[in-house]
Order: sequence, then C-alpha cells, then structure tokens
Amino acid sequence: MRSFSYERATSIEAALQAAARNVDARFIAGGTNLLDLMKLEIEKPSHLIDVNGLGLDTIEKSPEGGLRIGALVRNTDLAADETVRRDYGLLSRALVAGASGQLRNKATTAGNLLQRTRCPYFYDPNQACNKRQPGSGCSAFGGVTRQLGVIGVSEACLATQPSDMAVAMRALDAVVETRGASGAKRSIPIGDFHRLPGDTPHIETELEPGELITGVVLPPPVGGKQIYRKVRDRASYAFALVSVGAVIHPDGSGQVAVGGVAHKPWRVEDAETELSKGARAMSAVLMEGARPTEQNKFKISLVERTLEAVLKEARE
Amino acid sequence: MIVDGRRINSCLTLAVMHEGDAITTIEGLGEPGNLHPIQAAFIKHDGFQCGYCTPGQICSSLAVIEEINANIPSHVTKNLTDQVAITAAEIRERMSGNLCRCGAYSNILDAISDVAGVKA
Ligand SMILES: Cc1cc2nc3c(=O)[nH]c(=O)nc-3n(C[C@H](O)[C@H](O)[C@H](O)COP(=O)(O)OP(=O)(O)OC[C@H]3O[C@@H](n4cnc5c(N)ncnc54)[C@H](O)[C@@H]3O)c2cc1C
Ligand code: FES
Repeated sequence: MRSFSYERATSIEAALQAAARNVDARFIAGGTNLLDLMKLEIEKPSHLIDVNGLGLDTIEKSPEGGLRIGALVRNTDLAADETVRRDYGLLSRALVAGASGQLRNKATTAGNLLQRTRCPYFYDPNQACNKRQPGSGCSAFGGVTRQLGVIGVSEACLATQPSDMAVAMRALDAVVETRGASGAKRSIPIGDFHRLPGDTPHIETELEPGELITGVVLPPPVGGKQIYRKVRDRASYAFALVSVGAVIHPDGSGQVAVGGVAHKPWRVEDAETELSKGARAMSAVLMEGARPTEQNKFKISLVERTLEAVLKEARE
Repeated sequence: MIVDGRRINSCLTLAVMHEGDAITTIEGLGEPGNLHPIQAAFIKHDGFQCGYCTPGQICSSLAVIEEINANIPSHVTKNLTDQVAITAAEIRERMSGNLCRCGAYSNILDAISDVAGVKA
C-alpha cells in the first residue's frame, strides 16, 4: 500500500472543501472496498477524507411519504430497519444477500453504490484493463468471461457492477442525493447514476470529482410481493452470477431489475409491459441486444429462469 | 474483532479510524484457566484443527448470537417482520464470512449451537 495522509471531516462543507483542495483525495466510509483496492494499489489516493462523522447515518421519513436513507447508514442497519423490512422488503433482502455479516456492519449506503467491479482483469495489475488504466486495452476479451457482462457491454469493457443493494434500489426507483464541490445539491435517479462503459469504462457513475453522496431517497411504498433472488456459485458469501430484484403486484404488473449482467443494475421499463405474459416474454425484451460470449451466454437463459422462479414465488 | 459491540474485519479498516472505540479481540474474551464459554465450547467440540481461523471464528460467533437476539435479519430469515429465531440454519448462514481452510465447519457449528442452546 502507498503512503497517504488522513483527515476526519466534521461537516459536509469541510469534506467538500478537503476534496476540492486535493484531486487525488478519496472519501472513506466503511473502507471495505477502498482499502482492499488500496492494498492492491489499484486505488492510489494520496489523501483520505473520513466521512463517518458527518451525521449522515439516519433513516427518516421523506416529506413525500417515502424514506430518506443517509449515505453513512450501515448495510446491517438498513436491512434491519423496521420500516424497510415492512415496506421495502426487496431492499432488506438484497442487502442480506450480499457480502458477510462483518462486512455489512461496516459497509455504507454510498460506499455500496460506488463499490467497484469484481472483474478479475481489473483486480490483476498484470492484465490490461481500460478501467484500471485507460487506454491499456481489455484482457477479458478472449479470456475467462464466465462472470462478466452480457448486455450494455462495449469493445473497451465487459465488467459488471456487483452491488446487490443497487439492484433493489433500481427496481424501487430510488434517487441519489449529492452535494457537489461548490456545495450545490443534486438529485440523480438511480437509473442514471451508473453509466454504461462505452469507451470510458473508468468513468463509472455520473458523480463529478469531489461530489459527495449525502443520501438515497425511496419513493412512498409501492406494496406488492417484493423478492430478491440471487444465483451464485456458492450459497452464501459470493457475488451474483445473475440476480433478479422484483416488485410484483397482484394484477401481475411489476418492476424488475437484474444484477450480474451489466455495468449497471439492468432495468428496461418497456419490458415490464410483457410481465403479465410471463418470464420468457419479458426477458426476451429485457435482454434484447445482449452480446454474451461463448462462456457467459448461459446468463441469458439464467435471467429468464430466475425471473420465472421469482414470478412463481410471487404467486405463492 | 468486535468494535463497539459489532464484528468487523480488522483487515478492512484503519486503526486511526477507531479512536475511542471499544475494541475486543480474542485476547479480551478469556484466558487460560478462565475461558469464555464459547472458547470452552470450541475445545469441547473440536471446533478447529490448525487454529489459524479460530480467533475470528470465536469473536464472530459471539456477535452472531447477539445479532440474532437483536433481531437483525439474514439471507435465510423466512419472514422479515417476525422476530428472528436462533436456528442452525441462521448460525450457518451468518458464519459464512469466516472461512476455515481446515474445514472444521461442522464442529464449529456444534460449538456455537451448544452455547446458543440450539440443536445443531
Ligand atoms: C469479501 C467481500 C465480499 C463481498 N460480497 C458482496 C456481495 O456479495 N454483494 C455486494 O453487493 N457487495 C459485496 N461486497 C462489497 C461490499 O458491499 C462493499 O465493499 C461495501 O458496500 C462498500 O461500502 P463502504 O462503505 O465500505 O465503501 P468504501 O470502501 O468506504 O468506499 C467505496 C467507494 O465509495 C466512495 N465513497 C464512500 N462514501 C462516499 C460518499 N458519501 N460520497 C462519495 N463517495 C463515497 C469511496 O471514495 C470509495 O471510492 C463484498 C466485499 C468483500 C470485501
Ligand atoms: S482451523 Fe485451520 S483454518 Fe480453521
């Protein structure tokens, strides 16, 4: 790990100013992704700004009747919150399907959204990776791609966004709230927050340099059966091959987002009109334009089957 | 290790971020001749072989029992709005973040179940 300096910010303004002073600085929240990447020297910040003391760790009712989740709320606390369990069960389910108990005790709402890909070529500094080193190429092409993306991929990058929580938030129409370097507030719908790789896979979200996430807002509860189904190589403590987060209403309509297939939680609102016709009809539209490799084309049928299982559970 | 009552991974945090926090490691639980019940249970049930993972397994198990008592749900919790029950399935799922290369898992589960008062 390279040496770095560290400070504990005591207000949002101080954190923003510290970030503006040093373009190499990073905010640190739970640290469970950033420190891992710093040890591997994939992330090389010269300065860390600890944002744990900003008071952004509460869950409150929003004026619209939804829920405002602070950026520093721990994944454990969010999953265990009484209102979340009752009204946004999908979110609780997605959270407890991710990582481990000890990691969720540290991991935060903002850090989880910003966690970086688990693509093995990103993690191995001996391999070419346009995300790690823009312009160096992508060793995943012609390599081992079983875990990697199948839709929305580009010539430059096959990586997926690995967050379970983000899939639930996408299906629930969450909005990410931020403060920019100038202090200005922004609200970014979760569907616009993560970007597709295109030819700039190192730019993963809409955040500007030095922009701080302050919270995530969920709209008022939508009811329905809320289900998160994660398919992985091991029953616990493993990232998703494919996951489906869904809200299914009694009339058969619903909201569906898919994880493990793209550089962002994958949701196609137009595909949801097909939902009442069944999993095959909906996933045909949802996965239209997919460009899988020989090794990961199984993910296309796995999406359909996982959605089928979700619809079956919703009928029970 | 256990920080302010919660288990976390010591390798993924910085000491400087924990000024003033209460930190408990295996050394803080018991000592020879005066073992913590969970330490004694690991010995009774042969919950280890090489012992490399054991400090983490023991700290984690204590916190797992408390997480269940505090009604924190897990991936195997059936109904999110019911009080979480202490069962072997709950313990197994919650311990998945502690790997044991020797594969002492079933005896680790026996040791925790013994202390938690459930049938493994
Ligand atoms: C072994 C292991 C297994 C895992 N398994 C899963 C899994 O199955 N599913 C899953 O979803 N996740 C999994 N994870 C990832 C885990 O969920 C993330 O590491 C965690 O959510 C990151 O949150 P954090 O608060 O620790 O982030 P940090 O490491 O503190 O930060 C991550 C990034 O976010 C930035 N950041 C943090 N807070 C803010 C803010 N307020 N504003 C702007 N930027 C900010 C940081 O600068 C950094 O770039 C796993 C992790 C590990 C180590
Ligand atoms: S006892 Fe050897 S690793 Fe667990």
